[in-house]
Amino acid sequence: MTDASRSPEPMIRLESLTKRYPGQAVPAVDGITLDIPKGEIVVLVGPSGCGKTTVLKMINRLIEPTSGRVLIGGEDVTRADADELRRHIGYVIQQIGLFPHMTVAENVGMVPKLLRWEKQRIAARVDELLELVGLDPAEYRDRYPKELSGGQRQRVGVARALGADPPVMLMDEPFGAIDPITRDRLQNEFLRIQADVRKTIVFVTHDIDEAIKMGDRIAILREQSHIAQYDTPEAILTAPADGFVEDFIGAGAALKRLNLTRVREVPLDHWPAASVHEDRARLRRLLAESEQGSLLLLDEEDRPLRWVTARDLAREREPLHRVGLPATAVVEPHATLHDALDEMVTSTVGCAIVVDRRGRYQGVVDLGTVTSAIDEMRSDVRRRDRAVAEAEAAPGDAVGEVG
Amino acid sequence: MDFFDYLGNVPEYLRDEWRSYLDLAIDHAQIVVTAILIATVIGVGLGVLTYRRPPAAKVVLTVTGTFLTIPSFALFGLFIPIFGLGSRPAIVALVMYALLPIVRNTITGLRSVDPAVTESAVGMGLSRGQRLARIELPLAWPVVVTGIRVSTQLTVGIAAIAAIVNGPGLGGPIFQGLRATGTQRGFNLAFSGTVSVALLALLFDLLFQVIARLTTSKGLR
Repeated sequence: MTDASRSPEPMIRLESLTKRYPGQAVPAVDGITLDIPKGEIVVLVGPSGCGKTTVLKMINRLIEPTSGRVLIGGEDVTRADADELRRHIGYVIQQIGLFPHMTVAENVGMVPKLLRWEKQRIAARVDELLELVGLDPAEYRDRYPKELSGGQRQRVGVARALGADPPVMLMDEPFGAIDPITRDRLQNEFLRIQADVRKTIVFVTHDIDEAIKMGDRIAILREQSHIAQYDTPEAILTAPADGFVEDFIGAGAALKRLNLTRVREVPLDHWPAASVHEDRARLRRLLAESEQGSLLLLDEEDRPLRWVTARDLAREREPLHRVGLPATAVVEPHATLHDALDEMVTSTVGCAIVVDRRGRYQGVVDLGTVTSAIDEMRSDVRRRDRAVAEAEAAPGDAVGEVG
Repeated sequence: MDFFDYLGNVPEYLRDEWRSYLDLAIDHAQIVVTAILIATVIGVGLGVLTYRRPPAAKVVLTVTGTFLTIPSFALFGLFIPIFGLGSRPAIVALVMYALLPIVRNTITGLRSVDPAVTESAVGMGLSRGQRLARIELPLAWPVVVTGIRVSTQLTVGIAAIAAIVNGPGLGGPIFQGLRATGTQRGFNLAFSGTVSVALLALLFDLLFQVIARLTTSKGLR
C-alpha cells in the first residue's frame, strides 16, 4: 500500500520542530519531524492538548518555534518575512473569521489585493473561486458574511484561503463547527476541489473519522506531538502501530474502512431508468424487462426524480412526477461507501443512487457492492500481512518505514 | 410677572434678534467642531496605542476620566493665565472634556473585534498597520462614532460656559441674561441662548446619525 519508492518529494518538511512556553516544565511540541508530500492531504490527529494546532501554527509562524526548522519547497521559512510567507499559505480556521464589514468578493480577493494584483485579475479570480466552491458569483459576490449560512461561510473561507493560488494550505478543524449533515457535504465537496487543485494540505482535527475520510496520510500524535504512527489511513486501520493508536481508532475499524473506498472506485450497478416524459407503455415494458420491482424516473436533465412501480404506472390519471416515491438516497462519486451505506439504509428500494456533479444519474450502489468491497479489503490486508510476515522471516531486508 | 408672561414675549424678541443667535450658533458650532476634531485624533490615537496594553489603557482612561470631574467653570478660569482669553482656552478645555468617551469607545471597539477575525487576518499576511486600517478600525468604527457623538453632546453644553473666558458662542447671551435675572431682557437672553444650545445639540445628533450610517459598512448594520 505505501510504496516508498513512489513517495513524492516533500513539499513541507518539519525538522525537530519544538515549542517550549516559558514557565512550563515540558515542551508543548517536542521535536516533531515530518515530511508532507506535495499535493497530498496530511491530517494531524490526536487528543486535545497534544499540540497539533501548535504544530500547524508553527508552519505559518502564527506561533514562532523555539527551535527546529520548517522547510517549504526546500526553503527554510523560519527566518523569512512572516507576512510575506503567510500570503502564500492558505489558512482556514474553525471559526472561519470572515471579515464582516467586507463583501464576499472583498474577502476572497483580500490576499490577491495584498499582492497588488490588478483589479480585473482579482475580479476574475474571485468569480473563478466562488464557482469552484459552488457559489454562484452573480448571486453571492456582493453579499456580506451575515447574509450567508454557516455552510456558505465555510465555502467562502475556503475560497478566500485559495485566493492567490497558494501551493500550501493549513486547515485547523475547518469543518468542526458545522452541523453533521452539512459537514459531510462540505468534506465531500472539499475532496472534489482538492482533486482539481492538488494543494499540499496540512489538516488538523481531533476526529479520527474525519482524518480517515480526508487524509491521504494521517499522523496520529500523542502528547507533546510525538508521532505515534504516520501512514496511510488503510495502513493505520489494518495495522495500528501500538495500543495508543488502536485505542484512538476506537471500535469499528472494519466499518471505518468503508470510509476509504469511494463510490467512483467501485463498479456501479445499473437500474432501469428513464425520462419522466417517456411514454407510459414504454416505461411499463422497460420495467417488465428488468428484474427490478421499480423504475427510476429522471427529469429533463437526467436527474433522479421518483421511484415508480408497475402499480404507480397504472395510475393513468396522475401525472408521472406525482406518483411513486421521491428519489432520495443520492450520493456523488466522491462519497465514500460508508456514506452510500448510510443512504442505502434509509432508502425505500435499498440502494443509493449515484449522480455526477451536475446531479445526473450514473448508476446505483447496493448492499452487494459494499459486501464485495469489504471482501476485497480483507484480502488486501491478508496479502499485506503475509508480505510483512515474509519480510520478517528474512531479516536481511529492512522494511521501509514512512516518516 | 411669572415664567409664562416672560415666555410670551420671547417670540417678539427673537423676530428681531434671530440673526445674531444664528451667528452665535455658528461660532459655537465652530469651536465644538474644532475641539471634537482634535479630540478625535488624540482620542483614537490613544485608544489605538493602548488597547492591547491593559495597564497603559487604564492610565489613559483614569487621566481622561479625571478631566471630566474638573468643574468646567474652574478649568476655564485656570486656563486664562496660560492661554489668555478667547477661543484658545475654550478649545483646549473642550478637548480635555471630549477625550474620555472617544478613548474609551475606541478601546472598547477595538477590543470587541472577534479574535477569529484577527487571527485569520494575521494568517492571511496582513501587516500590523494593514490589520488596523482595513480590519480592526472599520469594525470598531460604529462604537468609535458613538463615542464621538457623546463627546459632541457633552461639548456643546460645556462650550456655553466658555463665555467666561470671552470664548465665542451662545454662552454670551446666557451669561448676560443671568446677570439681569428678573427682567424681561434677562429672560429673553438666557432663554434664547439656552434653547439655541439645545437645538444645536439636537442638530449635531442628527448629523451624527447620518455620518454613522454613511461611514459604517452595510455588513455591520
